[in-house]
Amino acid sequence: MTSQTTIHLTINGRDHSLNVEPRVTLLDALRDRLDLTGTKKGCDHGQCGACTVHVDGERVLACLTLAAQVEGREITTIEGLAGADGTLDAVQAAFLEQDAFQCGYCTPGQIMSAVACIREGHANSDDEIREYMAGNLCRCGAYPNIVAAVRQAALEVVS
Amino acid sequence: MTVHNIRHADSRHGDASDGAVGGRLSRVDGPAKITGAAKYAFEQQLDGLAHAVMVEATIAAGTVRAIDTRAAETTPGVLLVLTPDTIMEIKGASDWLGNPPTQKTYSPLARTVTYSGQHIAAVVAETFEQAVAAAALIEVSYDETPAIVDLSDPKAGDGIPIDAMTKEWGDAEAAFAAAPVRICAAYNTQREYQAAMEPHGLIARWQGEELTIWEPSQWLDGMARTYAEWFGVPFENVRLVSPYIGGGFGSKALALAHSAVAAASAKMLGRPVKLVLTRPQNFTSYGGRAATRQTVTIGAGRDGKIQSIVHRGVNETAVDGMWVEPLASVTSIMYATPNFSSKQNVVRVNTVVPGAKRAPGENPSAFGIECAIDELAHEVGIDPLEIRLRNYAEQDPEAKKAWSTRQLREAFASGAERFGWSKRSPKPRSMRDGHQLIGWGVAAGTYPVRRAYGEAIVRILADGSVEVESSSIDMGQGTYTILAQTAAETVGVAADDVVVKLGDSRYARAGVAGGSRLAGVMTGAVYKAATSALDQLVGLAISDPRSPFHALQANTLVVANGRLRSPRGDGPDVSIAELLASVGRDRIEAAGDTMPANSTAEDRYKNYTTIATSIPHTEGNYSRHSWCAHFIEVRVDEDFGTVRVSRVVSALDSGRLYNPKLAESQWKGGIIMGIGQALLEEGIVDRRHGRIVNNNLADYLVPTNADIPDIEVISVGIPDLHSSVLGGKGVGELAIVGVAPAIANAVFHATGKRVRDLPITLEKLI
Amino acid sequence: MRDFSYVRANSIEAARKAAALPGAMLLAGGTTLVDLAKCGVAQPETVVDITHLKGLDTISVDASHATLGALAKMSHVADHAGIKSHFPAVSEALWQAASAQLRNMATVGGNLMQRTRCPYFRDPSNFSACNKREPGSGCSAIGGVTRGHAVLGTSQACIAMYPGDLATALVAFDATVHLGQRVLKVDDFFLLPGDTPEREHDIRAGEMITAIEIPGSAAARRSTYLKVRDRQSYEFAAARAAVGLELEADGRTIRDLRVALGGVATKPWRARAVEEALKGKVLDEDTVRKASGLAMEGAVDHGANHYKIELAPRVVARAILKLGETA
Ligand SMILES: Cc1cc2nc3c(=O)[nH]c(=O)nc-3n(C[C@H](O)[C@H](O)[C@H](O)COP(=O)(O)OP(=O)(O)OC[C@H]3O[C@@H](n4cnc5c(N)ncnc54)[C@H](O)[C@@H]3O)c2cc1C
Ligand code: SF4
Ligand code: FES
Ligand code: FES
Repeated sequence: MTSQTTIHLTINGRDHSLNVEPRVTLLDALRDRLDLTGTKKGCDHGQCGACTVHVDGERVLACLTLAAQVEGREITTIEGLAGADGTLDAVQAAFLEQDAFQCGYCTPGQIMSAVACIREGHANSDDEIREYMAGNLCRCGAYPNIVAAVRQAALEVVS
Repeated sequence: MTVHNIRHADSRHGDASDGAVGGRLSRVDGPAKITGAAKYAFEQQLDGLAHAVMVEATIAAGTVRAIDTRAAETTPGVLLVLTPDTIMEIKGASDWLGNPPTQKTYSPLARTVTYSGQHIAAVVAETFEQAVAAAALIEVSYDETPAIVDLSDPKAGDGIPIDAMTKEWGDAEAAFAAAPVRICAAYNTQREYQAAMEPHGLIARWQGEELTIWEPSQWLDGMARTYAEWFGVPFENVRLVSPYIGGGFGSKALALAHSAVAAASAKMLGRPVKLVLTRPQNFTSYGGRAATRQTVTIGAGRDGKIQSIVHRGVNETAVDGMWVEPLASVTSIMYATPNFSSKQNVVRVNTVVPGAKRAPGENPSAFGIECAIDELAHEVGIDPLEIRLRNYAEQDPEAKKAWSTRQLREAFASGAERFGWSKRSPKPRSMRDGHQLIGWGVAAGTYPVRRAYGEAIVRILADGSVEVESSSIDMGQGTYTILAQTAAETVGVAADDVVVKLGDSRYARAGVAGGSRLAGVMTGAVYKAATSALDQLVGLAISDPRSPFHALQANTLVVANGRLRSPRGDGPDVSIAELLASVGRDRIEAAGDTMPANSTAEDRYKNYTTIATSIPHTEGNYSRHSWCAHFIEVRVDEDFGTVRVSRVVSALDSGRLYNPKLAESQWKGGIIMGIGQALLEEGIVDRRHGRIVNNNLADYLVPTNADIPDIEVISVGIPDLHSSVLGGKGVGELAIVGVAPAIANAVFHATGKRVRDLPITLEKLI
Repeated sequence: MRDFSYVRANSIEAARKAAALPGAMLLAGGTTLVDLAKCGVAQPETVVDITHLKGLDTISVDASHATLGALAKMSHVADHAGIKSHFPAVSEALWQAASAQLRNMATVGGNLMQRTRCPYFRDPSNFSACNKREPGSGCSAIGGVTRGHAVLGTSQACIAMYPGDLATALVAFDATVHLGQRVLKVDDFFLLPGDTPEREHDIRAGEMITAIEIPGSAAARRSTYLKVRDRQSYEFAAARAAVGLELEADGRTIRDLRVALGGVATKPWRARAVEEALKGKVLDEDTVRKASGLAMEGAVDHGANHYKIELAPRVVARAILKLGETA
C-alpha cells in the first residue's frame, strides 16, 4: 500500500505542493524533498531538538510531525528567519557574537528554539533560559555561550 | 557547490586586530551556520538519489544462518537488497598505520556476528521511508553462540598483556612496600559514546571509475585511500567532500562498514546512494570509548611526597579488532616519582571495536591518578592542591626530558585564586546549603602535543583577496577562522579578504584532524604557503619592470591592509589588486608544506593517508604537552543523591591561542563533555543479549543546557615554539582531561563518599 | 514505519467513528504515536488526525474546578495563570515534562495515553518478548536492565513504569477523564498490568478522551510537584511526587493531604497510606519522613531499580516538607 497524496505547505511564507505518502514527516519533507536542509536530523525521535521549527509561531519538533498534519499552518524554518534582505534576526546575530556554536549542527534548532523561548517569555533569568533551552542538545557543549546569546537577544528584543 | 566560500562581511566583531593571529575573530563560517545555508556533507541534493538503510544483527555472537529478503524485495520502491551473498566484491584495505590488509576481500556485511548491532544486510529504495519499511521486513535466522558481554563477564578473563604499554623505572614494588603511607584503589570508567549531533552517513556517487563521497570526515585523505583500496581504483579517482562536520570527537576519521555498503550499492545500482545511520545504529556501527579498569597504588611519605606508583590497567576491545586505550599516559608524567611501574592488558568482548573519543587514553588515565592523589591528600591530611604542588614534576619523569613549556603551576595558582580555593573547609561533608551538600574538588589534566606535517595552497587573487585551500576540515574547532587569520596576518590583508576552502580532498592534502594536532599543523603550513606567496608578490613588485615599485630599487616592501609600500614610506602606495593589474598577473599561487625537505611523493602519500608519520611528542630534547587545572563545585542533594555541578573554574595552558574566542569555546565544550562522563554517560548492556539498551539520546544521557553552570576558563599558556611553528599546543582534547576526577573529588568532599566507578549516579550516593 | 492512510477528522463524532475502525489510531500531538510508529511498535493502518478539531483545546479554571480540553497543549496548560494559582502541582508537573518543543505539540489527552519507555517494549526488532506488545510473549525486562522499571504495581507479566508526569498530579487531586458517555476517575482510568499488560487504560473502541476535569480544593491550591532525575531536565523521572496540603487554622496540624507518586509504579500511584498516617498530625520533619515510608508498602524491586524504594519516600517527604515551609 503506497498512498501518495498531494499536500500544500506554507513554509517561510511560500507555498509548496508536494506529493508524498502520509507517513512522511515534516522533517524528511523539508530535507529530502524541498532542499531545506537547515533543519537538522539528530535523532528522529524527539530526543535532541535539532529539528526544531515553528508552526504557527510555536516551536515544535519536525521529526515527530507528519507533513500532512501541518497543511494550512504557517511553518518557519531557519532559512526563513533572517529578513528578506539578509538582515539577521537578533538571536542569529547574538549567536555569532557570543560564539554560541561550534560544529553548527544543533544550531538551527537552538536558534529556532531561542527565538520562541524569548517570545514565550521564558528568558527572564539564566536559569530559566537553561531550563527552557534544555530541549536542544549540543554535544559540542556551547551551552554557556547559548545562554549568553539568548540573554543578549532577549534584551535587544525587549528594547 | 560544495564548499563554503561565502564572504562574511559581517562576521567580525571588535576591532580590526581581531583578524590577526591571536585575535577574537568570530567564526568566518558562522553566518552560513546560523542561517541554515551551510550544507553538511550528506545534505547535497543529487538527481536520482536513492536511499539506503542498514539492517543489524540482533545477536552478539554466532553466525547468520539465513536472511529472508523476499518480503523486502517486493515492497514498493525497493531497488536493491544487499546481503553478504549479494553485495559486490570489495577488496581488503590497509589500516590507518598503512599496514597492508590481512584479508584479500572485505565484507562489510557480516556472516559471522561478533557483536549485536553489526551490519548484516542493507536495503536501497527510492525513498527513505520505503527503505526503512522494507528493512523491517527482513527476517534473519542465526546460530547463536555465547557472548562475552563486558569486562565483568566471568568468561572475559584477564586479557592480553600489551607489552608496549609497560613502563617501569626504579623499583616500584619495593618502594611501595617500604612507604610509610600506602593507598590502593580501583577506578572504573564505562563505555561512553561520542554522540555527535550529526549522525554518521554519506552520499556515494560513481561516474565511471570516479567515486565521489560526501561524508562528514575528520580525515579526507585517509578515508579516500580506504575507498580507493576497497574498490581498486587509483587514489586520485576518489574525491571526498566534507565541507562541514556536525561534530566528530574522534568518531569520524575512518571509512566504516556502512560507508562501504553505500559506495558498493551506488556502484551496483549505477545511481547515487544516500545512507545515514539511525541514532541507535550510531551506538553500534563504530566504537565509543572503551570501558576501562585501573588500580592505582601510591606509596608516599607522611609529607605527601610520592615514592612509588604502581598502576595496572585493563581496557575492553573487540573480538575481531584491537583497541588499546593507553591508561598510563597521565599516570606516568603528572607527578615526580622515583619509582614507577605500569602494565596494561586488553580484554576481548563482543562489541564493535572501541574507538577514539576525546582524549583517548589521557581521559581515563587522569581519572585514576587524579582521584588517587586526592585520596592520598586526604590520607596524609594535606590540601589537595598543596599535595599536587609538592609532587610537581619539574621535568618529564618518564622521558627524563625538559618540558617544552609547562604552565601548570600557573594554572593551579590562577584557577585557585579565581575559584576562592583558600576558603575551602578541609573536612568532607562540612559545607552545605539547606539540603544540599557542597563539595569542592580539584584535578589536573594534560594532553600531548601531537605533531604532523601538512600542506596548503595560498593564492593572492586579482581583486587582492586571498584564498586558502586545504583538504583539512572544520568540525567546530575553528579551522576556517584561524587559517583565515593566519593567511591575513602573513600576507598583510584583512581577515575579511581571505576565503578559506576546506573539506575537499581535491585541495592540498592534510592528515587526520585528531589528537588536537590540526591547528598546529595547518597554521604552520598556511604560514609557510602564505609567506611564499607574499615573497612572490613582493618579488614581482620589486623586479617586474611594469611595477610602480620597479624604479624604487628597494630590496623589500611592506604589505599591510592589502596595500604595498616601501618600508620607509616613500614612493608609491598601491593596493595588491592594482599591483597585480600593473604587472599583468591574475593571481599568485604558492604551495607550502612542513614536510622534511627531501620528502618523496611516496613519503607525502604516506604522511597524509596514514598516521604512521606523526612526530613523537618527546622527539629531540623536549617533552611537549598541554596542561590544565580544574576547580569544580558540586551540590549533592542529601536525600536524593543527585549531583549537580554548580561552578567550574579551569585554567589551561594550550600555548599560544590562535583565536582565544574559539579556543575558550572548545575548552568549555570539553569540560561539558567531562561533566557528562562524570555524572551521566554509560552504555548499559543487557547481559543476556550482549546489547546496549540505552542506544538513543533519551536514555544515553548527555548533558542538557540545564545541567551546565557558567564556566570560567583562563588561559595561562605562553607561546611554545618547540610545539608548533606559531607557538600553539593542543586545545580540543585537553579540557576534558581531569574533569571527571575533579568532580569525583568534589563529591567526596561534599559527602565523604568516594565513588570510583563512573558515572556518579544517584543510587551510588543514597 | 509502515505506510498508513491519513484522515483528518472534522468533528468529534467523525473522529470517534474513524478511530473505532480496526487499525485506526488517533493522532493528537503525535509525540507518542509517530515516535512509536518509527520504532515499529505502533502500526496504524489509518491515522485519524484530530489536531484540527475546534474547541477541544480550551482551558477553563475557577476555584471549584479546572476543565482541560483533550487537545489543550501541555505548554499552554502549564503556563495558564489559573492553573498556576489553583493547581500549582499540575503546572509544575507539566513544565518539568519532556521539552518546550514537545510540550507545544503534546496534548493533555495524548499525555495520559503515552506508553511506557521500557527499552524492551520500544525495540521489537531486538527483543521479541514483551507481554505489553505481544501478549503471552514474555517479559524481556525481568532479568534484564531494570534501572527505570517500576517497583509498585508490578506483575509477573510486566514491570513497566508509567512515565507520564501529568497523571501523577491528576490522581492526587481526584481528577476525572471524560470519554464522551463515560466519566472515570483518573485512578480508575489507568489499569494495573496484572495478566493483561497490553491493556493500560479503561477505554473502549469508539471512545475518545474529550476533557480532563480537576476538582478544586485547598490542597490543590497549596500543592507542588517534585521530580528527581539523573539529568536536570528533558528526562523522565527516577521518582516524582505530587503533593497537596491543607493545614488547620493553627497552621501546624494537617487537615488534608494528597500524595501521589510516579516514576516508581506501573500506573499513577496514589499513596493513601501516607495521607491517612499524616492527617490530623502536627507537621514535623520526623513524622513526615516516617509516614512517607508507607508509600512503598508492597514494593518489589528487580535489582537495578532497588534504589527507587529508598528514593521515592524521600521525594514524598521533601515535597510535603517544602509545602509546610511555604506558609
Ligand atoms: C523525548 C521525549 C521525552 C518525553 N519526556 C516526557 C516527560 O518527561 N514527562 C512526560 O509526562 N511525558 C514525556 N514525554 C511524552 C509526551 O509527553 C507524550 O508523548 C505526549 O504527552 C503525548 O501526547 P500527544 O498529544 O503527542 O499524543 P499522541 O502521540 O498524538 O497520541 C498518543 C496516544 O494516545 C492516543 N490519543 C491521542 N489523543 C487521544 C484522545 N483525545 N483520546 C483517546 N486517545 C487519544 C493516540 O491514538 C495515541 O495512541 C516525552 C516524549 C518524548 C518523545
Ligand atoms: S516490562 Fe512490560 S513493557 Fe517491558 S518488556 Fe516486560 S512486558 Fe514488555
Ligand atoms: S531530530 Fe527531532 S528531536 Fe532529534
Ligand atoms: S554546535 Fe555542535 S552540537 Fe551544538
